[in-house]
Amino acid sequence: MRRLTDGLFKASFFLGALSTFLFPNQVFSQAPFYQGKTITIIHGRDPGGTGDLRVRALIPLLQKYILGNPTIVNEYMPGGGSRKAANHIFRSARSDGLTIGNLSAGMVSLAVLGESGVLYDLEKFSFLGSPYSSYHSVFVTRKQAGFSGVEKLRAASGIRIGAQSVGFSTYNEARLFAFILGLKEPKFIAAYAGAEIDPALMRGEVDGRATGADTITKRNREWLEKGLVDFHAIVETPKGDKHPRFGHLPELESFAQSDRERKLIGLQRAFRVTGAPFILPPGVPKERVEILQDAFRKTYRDPAFHAEYKKLTGDDASPLLPEAHEKAIREIPRDPEVIELFKKLVGADPLPPR
Amino acid sequence: METSLFDAAAQGLLNLIQLKVWFALLAGVAIGTFTAVAPQGIGTPLVYAIALPVVIRWEPLTGIALLIGASSVSAICAAYLPVLFGIPGGGGSQATVLDGYPMGKRGEARRALGASFMAGGMGCLIGTLTLVIAVPAAKPLIYLMGSPELFVVMLWGLSMVAVLAGRRPIKGLIAAAFGLLIAMIGQQAQSGVMRFVFDQPYLLDGISISIIALAMFGIPSALDLALTKLGVEQQAVPLKGSLFDGIRDTLREWWLVVRCSFVGVWVGIVPGLGSQVVDWLAYGHAAQSCKGARESFGRGDVRGVIAPESANDAKDGGDLITTLLLGFPQGVATALFIVALLAWGFLPGPEMVKKNPELIYSIIWIQGIAGIIGTLVGFVLSGQLAKLAELRYTFMVSILFIFILMGAFSVHRDPLDLVAVVGFGILGYFMRRYAYPRPAMILGLVLGDLMEKYLYRSMMAYGFSWLARPAVIVLLILAAVSFVFTLRGRLKSKSESPASLGGAMGRAEDES
Repeated sequence: MRRLTDGLFKASFFLGALSTFLFPNQVFSQAPFYQGKTITIIHGRDPGGTGDLRVRALIPLLQKYILGNPTIVNEYMPGGGSRKAANHIFRSARSDGLTIGNLSAGMVSLAVLGESGVLYDLEKFSFLGSPYSSYHSVFVTRKQAGFSGVEKLRAASGIRIGAQSVGFSTYNEARLFAFILGLKEPKFIAAYAGAEIDPALMRGEVDGRATGADTITKRNREWLEKGLVDFHAIVETPKGDKHPRFGHLPELESFAQSDRERKLIGLQRAFRVTGAPFILPPGVPKERVEILQDAFRKTYRDPAFHAEYKKLTGDDASPLLPEAHEKAIREIPRDPEVIELFKKLVGADPLPPR
Repeated sequence: METSLFDAAAQGLLNLIQLKVWFALLAGVAIGTFTAVAPQGIGTPLVYAIALPVVIRWEPLTGIALLIGASSVSAICAAYLPVLFGIPGGGGSQATVLDGYPMGKRGEARRALGASFMAGGMGCLIGTLTLVIAVPAAKPLIYLMGSPELFVVMLWGLSMVAVLAGRRPIKGLIAAAFGLLIAMIGQQAQSGVMRFVFDQPYLLDGISISIIALAMFGIPSALDLALTKLGVEQQAVPLKGSLFDGIRDTLREWWLVVRCSFVGVWVGIVPGLGSQVVDWLAYGHAAQSCKGARESFGRGDVRGVIAPESANDAKDGGDLITTLLLGFPQGVATALFIVALLAWGFLPGPEMVKKNPELIYSIIWIQGIAGIIGTLVGFVLSGQLAKLAELRYTFMVSILFIFILMGAFSVHRDPLDLVAVVGFGILGYFMRRYAYPRPAMILGLVLGDLMEKYLYRSMMAYGFSWLARPAVIVLLILAAVSFVFTLRGRLKSKSESPASLGGAMGRAEDES
């Protein structure tokens, strides 16, 4: 009998030791899920740009704050204004919490506007926030064009407005400015790379453009120093967030003539506020979503992240926390009439009547 | 605030003080040397096509160092095949065979190679110095260029099709038109309209030019090697003589080097001439101007090696003048270089001169340094490189296929890219087989998007009145004159002997 119990004891000890090696996570059930794992961040862009740097500013802290300190690697899947990456994350990525997407704000607007090539359901992603959410769009015209005030702008016909391709945020904003300010038959020349519009403006190939307030203070200081342009209006994102240099400009909403027009501006603001969204594919277990949301929250609040973000991008971070992100997505106006009008507004045809 | 050109040149040099840039430069030099010496027809365009998907993911300067390092040294080391085997080298070194091989057979292979390296190095430096001078000289003109002027410049660049099409102008036009058609795939920037997308997310942004270039140049070369088992069948001439004799010859003929280098720079700058003629123009110039050339040229005169090699290497400087300052390519390699610059977010042409002069100077520095390293490599490793020239095709085929497929997958890690590379590869093979010039298609592909953009902007901003702008008129005249002269030159060359320009160009077309 004693030999039998000895045998059983030895056998159970052996099995216990073996299972420790074979199934360490099950044996040490308190070991964090992410320990020893690798998280892949899929970027909906090419490497090396500002969007990439924004993510890189966050990775070391994210690694620190995710329980288990996983390894984090980057993959790049540019295409279709982040459509390609969003489609991949929605349809093909595993829902094990080891794949995170970081996409452009376009993935939100494309889905809300029901554009072609969108194969994902926005509502089914889990949202982890964005490193920035604040943006100030300013409408400028070159001084030599002689539009010193909004009244002169309205009186002129056929003002040439430069922009990036149809579908770009700056194009949408330029169209929105022209529509709400009531410009007469503006001509949109949407065929410039970002850096090409400013020289085109200066040599008189275009008369005006919509651009970021921070871009002006960093890249076009001579506009301010030499008074080379006239500033007309601003769209503040989030609403009421005054820009230190352009806070005096009238908010575009002050030119709106109806509730419908205010909703249009609200829709554009809602798209902008989502920044560069971090997302998880549908079906990720709730506790892993919470681990990641918590880690992102701590990262966004860490001063070291803000310092690194400033160092890498030259901008101030304005993070959107995961819960605010989900709320922002939920609260995007879905009024079909406004969506339809917005689609016409940001299309390539002449502006719709007011 | 814009920096002065002197500051930009200093900054351009300072930017190179990074270990990874030097590693990339040396890697480029190694690749360029290997491909120049390996006998199976790997030219700079194929090297660029294979390297492009990889380097566009690097930091710009590191990628540029590899590309420029490869192309620069590839021109300097291009004399191995003509001198040792009597095989015309890649485009730009074909004329070298006329005197290089007789020298080799006479037991003066080292002398011919020494002259070739020295002339190539000096030509490269003269080309680079011309580029240095061209930047400040061109700057005031560049400031005058808006979209209408840039459209005409692109049109001028498209006249290259006349050269790339060779003796088959209709096929050239079809290939270029096909390139323009492929450039249209994806969302049109100006209207948002989806063209040839067929609801496929893969096609939303069009097909990557680097994938197409990789397929069009890589797969046909690899297939050709595998199917024809092409290799060097001839026995190499023994590597005898002294390199220093060649150096002395070149230094003695310094004035010939200078003249032929400027011929090279001129061929590089003028759109439509094409790199295939550079060595023959220089050779022709030397044959006409050198004392006693009538009797000695073609029988192993070292001046017949010095002239084409100095022009061939100086041409790269001229090529970069149009590529960097005007923004249009002079051939496939520079077209792919433009693709790389665009991928890194730089727009070659006036914008780059204004916004990124330090990068232009970094490129110039890299070009000069690569030329010096290439010359040294040629001198120090001449014996070892000669052995490299005897590599078997089986090794090359497997290496090519591995790099092509890995390169294609590395672009976006999308399995559909592999399908695209195989599809375009098969298309490229048949284009090559039925003599549809692939370089013309690549030119159409690269220029198509830019031309459409500039024309659209010009029409929207100025209506038809842009045609009356003085700079547009001047550029249109220059483009027309250049096109007519090119066409006339080509028609004339057809009636000349096979060893003349026409014959050389015919061979170059087949090679492309």
